Amino acid sequence: MSSEIPVISCKNVWKVFGADPKAYLAKTPPDRSFDDMREDGYIAGVKDVSLDVHQGEMLVIMGLSGSGKSTLVRCFSRLHEITAGTIEVEGQDIMSLAEKDLIDLRRSKMGMVFQSFGLLPHRSVLDNVAFPLEMRGQDKHTRRERALEVIKLVGLEGREDFFPRELSGGQQQRVGIARSLAIEPDIWFLDEPFSALDPLIRKEMQDEFLRLQQMLNKTIVFITHDFDEALRLADRIAIMKDGAIEQCDTPDKIVLRPATEYVRKFTEDVDKSRVVRAGGLAEVSQTGEGDPVDAGLSVQKMARMLIEDTREFIPVIRKGKPIGAFSRAEALDILLGDQ
Amino acid sequence: MADAPYVTANPFNRSRAALLFLGCAVVLTMLQYAALLPSWLHRLPETMIPPFAAWLDVVFNFIKDDLGLLKLTRFLTSGLENVLDASGNIFFGKRRWPNLGPMPWTAVAGVAAVIGYYLGGWRLAALAGGTFVWTALIGQWKIAMETVSVLVVAAPLAFIIGLSWGIAAWKYEWINKAIKPVLSVLQTLPFFTYLLPAVIFFKVGPTAGAMATIVYAIPPMILMTTLGLQKVSPEVVEAGKMSGCSRFQMLRHVYLPSARSDILVGVNQVIMLCLAMVVLTAFIGMPGLGAKLLAMMGSFKLGRSFEIGITIVLLAVTLDRMSKAWVIKQPVHFEKGTSWLNRHKTLVLAVCLFVGFTLLSKVIPLVGSIGRGQDFSQGRELDRAIKGFLAIDGVQSVTYGIRYVLNVWVLNPFRDFMLSIPTPAVILIIVAFAISLGGRREGIIAGVFFGLVALSGWWDRSIITLYSVLAAVSIAMLIGIPLGVWASRSEKWSRRILIACDTAQTFPSFIYLIPAIMLFGITATAVVGSITIFAMVPLTRYTIEGLRTVPLEMTEAADMAGATRMQKLMNVELPLALPTMAVGFNQAIMFAFFMVIIAAFIGTQDLGQELQRTLAGTDLGKNFVLGICVSLMALTFDVVIMKWATQKKQALGLT
Amino acid sequence: MKTMTTALTAGILTLAPLAAFADTNTDSSDPIVIPIHNWSSQIVMSNVVGQILETQGANVEYVTTDSQAVYESVRLGDVTMELEVWEGAFGASYRAAMEKGGIVDAGNHDAVTREDWWYPMWTKDACPGLPSWEALNECAALFATPETGEKGRYLDGPVDWLKHGQERVEALDMNFAVVNAGSAAALWAEIGAAEADKKPIVVFNWTPNFAEAVWPGEFVEFPEWEEGCDTDPAVGPNPDALYDCGNPATGYLKKAAWEGMEEKWPAAFATLQAVSFTNPQIAEMAKLVDVDELEPEEAAEVWLEANPDVWASWVK
Repeated sequence: MSSEIPVISCKNVWKVFGADPKAYLAKTPPDRSFDDMREDGYIAGVKDVSLDVHQGEMLVIMGLSGSGKSTLVRCFSRLHEITAGTIEVEGQDIMSLAEKDLIDLRRSKMGMVFQSFGLLPHRSVLDNVAFPLEMRGQDKHTRRERALEVIKLVGLEGREDFFPRELSGGQQQRVGIARSLAIEPDIWFLDEPFSALDPLIRKEMQDEFLRLQQMLNKTIVFITHDFDEALRLADRIAIMKDGAIEQCDTPDKIVLRPATEYVRKFTEDVDKSRVVRAGGLAEVSQTGEGDPVDAGLSVQKMARMLIEDTREFIPVIRKGKPIGAFSRAEALDILLGDQ
Repeated sequence: MADAPYVTANPFNRSRAALLFLGCAVVLTMLQYAALLPSWLHRLPETMIPPFAAWLDVVFNFIKDDLGLLKLTRFLTSGLENVLDASGNIFFGKRRWPNLGPMPWTAVAGVAAVIGYYLGGWRLAALAGGTFVWTALIGQWKIAMETVSVLVVAAPLAFIIGLSWGIAAWKYEWINKAIKPVLSVLQTLPFFTYLLPAVIFFKVGPTAGAMATIVYAIPPMILMTTLGLQKVSPEVVEAGKMSGCSRFQMLRHVYLPSARSDILVGVNQVIMLCLAMVVLTAFIGMPGLGAKLLAMMGSFKLGRSFEIGITIVLLAVTLDRMSKAWVIKQPVHFEKGTSWLNRHKTLVLAVCLFVGFTLLSKVIPLVGSIGRGQDFSQGRELDRAIKGFLAIDGVQSVTYGIRYVLNVWVLNPFRDFMLSIPTPAVILIIVAFAISLGGRREGIIAGVFFGLVALSGWWDRSIITLYSVLAAVSIAMLIGIPLGVWASRSEKWSRRILIACDTAQTFPSFIYLIPAIMLFGITATAVVGSITIFAMVPLTRYTIEGLRTVPLEMTEAADMAGATRMQKLMNVELPLALPTMAVGFNQAIMFAFFMVIIAAFIGTQDLGQELQRTLAGTDLGKNFVLGICVSLMALTFDVVIMKWATQKKQALGLT
Repeated sequence: MKTMTTALTAGILTLAPLAAFADTNTDSSDPIVIPIHNWSSQIVMSNVVGQILETQGANVEYVTTDSQAVYESVRLGDVTMELEVWEGAFGASYRAAMEKGGIVDAGNHDAVTREDWWYPMWTKDACPGLPSWEALNECAALFATPETGEKGRYLDGPVDWLKHGQERVEALDMNFAVVNAGSAAALWAEIGAAEADKKPIVVFNWTPNFAEAVWPGEFVEFPEWEEGCDTDPAVGPNPDALYDCGNPATGYLKKAAWEGMEEKWPAAFATLQAVSFTNPQIAEMAKLVDVDELEPEEAAEVWLEANPDVWASWVK
């Protein structure tokens, strides 16, 4: 699943806001706490973050407002200049890029969706979606064709000539998504794309999003403050607090083995049986007898089987290949909430 | 300033410092009355006054001749002149390239109506078309077009220059910091100070008129552009960046379109200020409505002047409404399969009307232009009506009574009192006022500014100017605020009074002067009265606005607490509206400083009269010194009151 | 020798038409700029002269200017001429411009100008001794206003016109207070207001002026002007004071032109020098606009049509 080079790789990244962050950071011990730094008049938006994002992976960054998640994702695309550390995109240090190369990178590789959509109010749906193509100088005919294609993809066919304010919130975000996909980016950033929508629409949009992702299989960095949304969508979740990453792991692991008290609080009210899947429970060292189950099945989905079965260990396969087995008792504990 | 440590943000210390200054002022004044004060403390001796005017003249002459600025501006003038000639040809048939004009009045009115319809429906169409029809029928077509032909050049130039500076100020903080004070001074500088340099550098006539108009109209455009660009949502900016915009693409496709509304508000202000200059630039040879108005007033034709005033108001209201409609106009999509004709039906209609009327005017001359003798001017009848009104005994005795009471008992004693206070005492009083309302910084500013006024050598005239402003604003408050309070009680009356405010503000202020003189003679009452009319406008407007924007929960809470109407007004509504009303008060003072200069045409002994005198000569230095005196006094009030309003707003949590 | 004569003749013959051509058409086709001020006689006169010049083929343009600042503009060549230089009102600005150079005298009109204390006719009903200044002084109480108390009010022109009303009141020990109007329009407004109930009023006024047509009136007769009245206290009835006599009753009304005009538009300059209006003619032109309400350019056409013999002689 992971290729040689991670798509995005960041090491010890700092983003500090304040009067002279570089100088301040140079003379400050790295273990100084967020609150102490605030006392000094500096805000650590991103605090010593190291993280890799792999090809085709959906990484969800989760945190409450002010936790630094939006700042971090803006560092990935160099919308923010970082204060210290390195960020590499496909092996290239983006901080060393000249302005022109950076623009080229964004024009060819990156797409981003915003919480309040960030649509240009004076442009129609078609012109908004075609905007990135126009910026990179594609001719009118090709960009129109491509824009219509993505508009159709997000289900807005027939509204090409509408203006943003004539659309509902959900529709506006579809435009935002279409625009970010217009250039066929390899890396897709989504900054709380569904937070501004009401709950019913949000659910619908999440489904839509999963459908798209299955078709497109992009490398995705998705930001949310909604833990349920993170669990629903993520391959891996990074939980942030005060600019630092508390834990970065698969949803199963986070639910089963929260690394800090802060993370545990989030997982408390979660129905773990819906989150934990066979694949997450499976231990490679174990082997089981009899019919295997698919790694993607949640504990809840396996409930009947877990209760009726009698085996101690149940084998798990992913894409037809055995990857280990899990303990039935452990799965039952999760199902019954005894953990 | 030994007591500076007292002056802190702490209100108690602040008021103590203010009291201390006030006390000193009273002591000084008492000493003066007791004839114990040395005369050099009463008025600065002549010998101590630096010859600012002479110094400035040296500087101006150096810039003008030695640095060759005059050559440059004269070169620019010839370029501007060509543009003005071309637009003059198109609008009123000046015999210059491209020799196409003039456009027939019917064609202009038709196109104006179509644009009005496109922007704001039938009502705006009627207003726009009606304005031009009125202008033609009343026999002012040619002079109105002379005015318009300059405005269509000046307004876009002001727009472009203002926009560029606005962008620069937004992009580079140091430019922003550098031009802010310059803009403040420009906005308070009396217009006479714009006029003289305009004549010297840009040749008497439409070119100087256009340049003075442009300079006058630029400041709000710069401010609105900067403000609008700063307000663009960060997500839109990031969306632009992530779409791979280069810097220029960001500005062109993201920032400017997103700041559209604020920029258009700037455009609206540019248009309004351009129209405000129509009459004033007539002093430096700008032809058109203003020049005609002055000529009419010079030969005592009140009716005709009044008609020209109406034309100016109509033009201003039309352009104001149209540009405001443009601000809120949002793009709308067409249904699929709409034909080209339908998509562009307003454009097609406008072109058809224009071509149609132009052709028709070749056959029927009346469609092309209306000459003297064919118009519907009622000038004579109006004159007769005005004279008839004045001849009524009741009017005469009432105005005589008012004139007697105000002049003999109020205004002249007040003026003499202000003149009797020693210079340092006046400065101390102003500083005390600034400290108690604003704070330490404002106190220092007030002291420095009024100190400079004292050093300018024009102290007595400045004090007379200040007295006229204070007297007029006080009277305006007595009338304007109750009027606003009363009007704010009903939606209908609020709207009516606000329309009256708009009209009073755009009506050329010169026209007030003649009735004021006829009613009250060449006296302080006429001067103060005409300033009062002008200063009342913002007071009433902001009172209405402040009261009508008091949050509904607050008034409901007051109702539920069992407050009577009066209790509610005094305890809830007025305190909450006060910061907004303060903005109106501030504007009233600014308007008064503007009008006091115009009131010099009635006959005063203030700075305005001296400024008017410099206009006839080439006294740039003196002209500038006088202008700065007005500006410094106005700025002091501006700084203090705005500071107070901001503090108050923050305290009330209204920002 | 013969060939030489032939050549010469041929030369003269070929040159002659050219010379004639040059003679009639040396005026530049650049527009002649005529300044217009804010009183009607000057506007009509400017239009009359402009239209005369146009019949000579000149290109004429009008520009509205301030009547004091105009001399600076004439000096710089921004405007080409000035048709009404009043001795009393603009003499100082004109002389100042003369000293700086760039402006030339283009001769006087027949008309004379006078500016002084003046009253509308109805005032005489209340104070029958007028126009004598002593009689005026005795009626002073008639002219009192709330602000001037016992004293009569004399409404002087704007301070910057420097009319020395205050000095004269003191020199002749008159029982009057001097109030300065801010503009000509303010003077007219006061007269207009007084007209409503025929209140006595005495104001600064001048002739030729539209006001004569609207409000018939007379100048107050002060001790006659003597040379030196404004410089030598000994001159005039009061041996210790300046300005103790009336203004000159026959001031000049001049035309002025830009220095370069003669060279650039010789024909037009010659016409300008010949132009001369009389007081009644000026009053008539003002009346066409002020009373008959014609537009200035139409008034000029009417006047030119009605008086062809007057202006025919100005055009060569």
